[in-house]
Amino acid sequence: MADKQNDQTAQSFSEMVTQWERNFDAFANQVMGTEAYSQAMNEMQKAQLAMQRTLNQNMGDQLANLNLPSREDVIQLTEMIYQLDRRLERIEEKLALNDAPKRNKKKPARTRQPKEADGKEGDKQP
Amino acid sequence: MTEPSSPFDEDLLAGMQQFFQHAVDRSRRSLEIAAAPPHPVGLTPKEVLYARGTLRLYHYEPQCDEVYRIPVLLVMATTNKAFIFDLAPGQSMIEYMLQQGFDVYVIDWEPPSYAERGLTLADYTQDFIPTCIRKVQEDSGEEDVSVIGYCMGGVLSLIYAATHADGPVKNLVCLTTPVDFHKMGLTQVWNDPRYFDVDSLVDTVGILSAESVTQMFEMQRPAQRLAGQLRLWDQILDDDFVDNYRAFNRWGEETLPLAGEYLRETTKELSWSNKLFTGELVVDGKEAKLSDINVPVLSIVAEHDHLAPRESTRPLLDLVSSEDKEEIMLKGGHVSLMAGPRAIKRMWPCLSEWLGLRSV
Repeated sequence: MADKQNDQTAQSFSEMVTQWERNFDAFANQVMGTEAYSQAMNEMQKAQLAMQRTLNQNMGDQLANLNLPSREDVIQLTEMIYQLDRRLERIEEKLALNDAPKRNKKKPARTRQPKEADGKEGDKQP
Repeated sequence: MTEPSSPFDEDLLAGMQQFFQHAVDRSRRSLEIAAAPPHPVGLTPKEVLYARGTLRLYHYEPQCDEVYRIPVLLVMATTNKAFIFDLAPGQSMIEYMLQQGFDVYVIDWEPPSYAERGLTLADYTQDFIPTCIRKVQEDSGEEDVSVIGYCMGGVLSLIYAATHADGPVKNLVCLTTPVDFHKMGLTQVWNDPRYFDVDSLVDTVGILSAESVTQMFEMQRPAQRLAGQLRLWDQILDDDFVDNYRAFNRWGEETLPLAGEYLRETTKELSWSNKLFTGELVVDGKEAKLSDINVPVLSIVAEHDHLAPRESTRPLLDLVSSEDKEEIMLKGGHVSLMAGPRAIKRMWPCLSEWLGLRSV
């Protein structure tokens, strides 16, 4: 009896959550789908970006004063390494073309046939 | 002598006892879950065939002695990890396809480094995908390749196929792939060019953070996270439910950052100008007209897809020139279509049957 009551409670809780989710999403989508919301959201983003730019600038100035590399300097180095990596990769690819095949995996036969219309397997697979 | 009757209803007492016992069990289980390591995902055996920067190409170990002649290359969207195709044993599209006799390769993405902030549509569709196709051809020994793209991975696959119309793509499958970006619902409203300053955003951040990408997805279903947590609390003693929740939750939490230039280009060219739909898209100097695609095309869409709404996916078959083309609409949402517990009975058999007939 207690089990049955608990099952019913769980069932109604699950239905309640689903219903709440649907209603809330529908309402939120209605509000967030308006031009006014889009404008407000994007204005807020612009303000955040302006703050971030100012912060980046100030931080860069401070690091320069302390004679430390800025984020831009580190990024430049990363990009140089990335370019070097690409060049190495191209060389490796060219070298690999001249090498004998390195990979010797056992490959399955590429002869499988699709199931026939009557549901019979067209191949020898289990 | 009769026992004195209790002033409380026995059923009520039993119910209360069970309620408190469940509350204790739930609390204990939630602590276990909170302390547990990330849920294991992507367990189907595979090897990295190729890796470069953000790009990973995996080859999955075939599970049959005899496979279809044409290998399959899955292309994931750049915002998410491809383990959604391989969520858990028994709930894995890749595992299913391997068991059906396909030779499966997957393009997955790692978070792009800041040095990769300049990646564009040209990099993805004229460099990454063609390179991976070449690797698949070399590895499989087959010239033909079937391509399956999911969401924006489908868009990249379409652009690749349109710009390589005489190329090796033998079959093209688009899973929940939008083509009319003016019908993208909320995303379209938020990307309104009068208010959204994509240049300022990209010039400032370089890479759009994973948190921002997640926020963009979650804002479309703002109640989803809390509702999910309530459902988890309710069913926390059901191990299958908890495993499923944790796997999906991990996928949602491991959203990837987005290269800034790619965001700028997709916003301007696709979202604002809708050039994929109008046939005016030019990538790396090549026209990307969907009408140039003439290979067999299958479009699988979800009935309740809020990220790629029906109106945005619908025109695909009208735009391609293929004679052999089909659309299948299935119950489910953008993600559950792919990896939900019912996908094994709904989507995967449709995909396998359609592709199997065209993979010999």
